[in-house]
Amino acid sequence: MLMNSPRWYRSRWFMPAFSVSLGLLMGGALLAGDNAGAIWSVLLMTGVGALFFFGGRRSETLAGLGGPGRDERWELIDVRATSFAGTVLIALLIGCWLWNIGNGGDGSPYGQLMAVTGVAYIVGVAVLRRRG
Amino acid sequence: MKNDIRELRAGQGLSQAALAEAMEVSRQTINAIEAERYTPSLPLAIALARYFARPVEEVFHADE
Repeated sequence: MLMNSPRWYRSRWFMPAFSVSLGLLMGGALLAGDNAGAIWSVLLMTGVGALFFFGGRRSETLAGLGGPGRDERWELIDVRATSFAGTVLIALLIGCWLWNIGNGGDGSPYGQLMAVTGVAYIVGVAVLRRRG
Repeated sequence: MKNDIRELRAGQGLSQAALAEAMEVSRQTINAIEAERYTPSLPLAIALARYFARPVEEVFHADE
């Protein structure tokens, strides 16, 4: 069936590779900041990657989340879930911003993050409406 | 959207997994369509109707 996700995104290797890469970046950042737990972050994210890789063979849900089981329904779920997460994040940003300025702060960094979110939304609408 | 996918599939002795493989979607998607929890895209609806050799409007009932 027609899907918008690129082929590489639906590869069974994508999510494990992404998880391990993120773990390595987290570990590197923790090491650079002299924070403890660098190795644990790498191990944790490697475990997440392994869960997607091996669990995807048994669980359709993990296969859908991980990529290889992704079809048009999963793409719709993904868009809706991303929209929900974005709405929660925006509500949280507004709440934190109000709390910050209400306590004498200048609203940083919440105001800047809200501005970036707003601009990203407007750009997204402008681009997507051209694509139909 | 109401549809006759479950009846058509059962009539041919097909499992949800077999129909899902033929349509290149997950078994869960076929299940969701049959349970009327998911309305398929137009390409998938047409593919399903063609698979059962029926017009789309005979398989999916938009007015009900």
